[in-house]
Amino acid sequence: MEFKEVVGRRRSIRFFEPDRPVEREKIQKMLEAARLSSCAVNAQWARAVVSFRDDLTKDQLQRLLTPVAALNVEMAPVHIHWFNDLSIVNKIQGSRLKELVDVGALAPTHGWSHKFVDDFVYPQILKPMTEGPGYPIYSTFDVGMAVQQALLTGVDEGLAVCMVTLNGATLKEVFNVPDEWVPMPTILVGYPAESWDGGGQRPRPPFEELYYEGSYGKPFPRDPKVVEDLKAAKMIQEPATPNNPARIAEIKRLAEKYGLPM
Amino acid sequence: MVNESEAEAPVTLRPMLDYPAVQAWMAGLRQHWGGDPATDDPERLPILEVFCRVMNRDPDQMIKETTMIKDGERRIRIKGRTRYADAINAWQDTIEGSRLRQAKWGNTVRSFLIHNGVLLQSGVHQA
Repeated sequence: MEFKEVVGRRRSIRFFEPDRPVEREKIQKMLEAARLSSCAVNAQWARAVVSFRDDLTKDQLQRLLTPVAALNVEMAPVHIHWFNDLSIVNKIQGSRLKELVDVGALAPTHGWSHKFVDDFVYPQILKPMTEGPGYPIYSTFDVGMAVQQALLTGVDEGLAVCMVTLNGATLKEVFNVPDEWVPMPTILVGYPAESWDGGGQRPRPPFEELYYEGSYGKPFPRDPKVVEDLKAAKMIQEPATPNNPARIAEIKRLAEKYGLPM
Repeated sequence: MVNESEAEAPVTLRPMLDYPAVQAWMAGLRQHWGGDPATDDPERLPILEVFCRVMNRDPDQMIKETTMIKDGERRIRIKGRTRYADAINAWQDTIEGSRLRQAKWGNTVRSFLIHNGVLLQSGVHQA
């Protein structure tokens, strides 16, 4: 699938085929994609624990169920639980930046050297950053980028994916992760029981309300020709509409198939 | 099964459609699924009535026990929601018939609560 179509085709799928297993290699591909994401100071904060639902004990699965996400968690055969390893910056102390210097990604042309990292970047910027209140926010941004790459790779592999937030304390206990790991959202993975388009692309705020040019208040102009190009590339697809009879019929069918309330 | 009626007089029920909570349920079903929810499934209202008798509560009382007004906002009572979720699960298991039929009875009551703003999920029930 072309990249733009992958972006356009992604939906948060909430009806999974509960008994159709997911190939391990597809999960690995999602993780490989996460590992390659852009990351500040090459720290790589993102960590994940892959959990195959049927390998969990009944008690473990029960503990993961939250009021909002219980059904999704029960239906999805694979759960990828993400964490933010806040300890990593002080463990690596700038060594991964020096790796970037060694491979020419950060070069003297831009002022970079091992000595700059050792004398300035780690002790004067990174270490104090880890002690400031904004640190979990900055690092979480990078975890999010890694998770998004995994998510889109799942779509490219023909899988259904959905982000959910489970109880962080429970996740840490059930999966026995280090104290320094902060729980992040979970990707549920399976094959869709619903049609892949899920009734259309989900509603979004108007482009002009989100993006500006030059300064806040002056919307970045949306060129209709670009929109048409993206429609042709299947990135912008038919929007979901309220009370769509086909979608309502699909949900009814799924509710009957899986014995769900209506 | 959760039944707190032992020390109480049996609830006296009016026709289900008289209760504002049932009217809200019907309105929610109509808005979401279309059709006439009071007649398109003739079992719907009788099932809710059976559950009301099991719980010894009328429909409006059930919503009062699962929601509250706090600081001017309507909220879900966590304990009440959990109690009803457990009660529905237990009651559903006592219904005679197939698992799908049991699920239908439980889901009818869940639907009543859901369309009154009380989030509940049922788990998967396949034939």
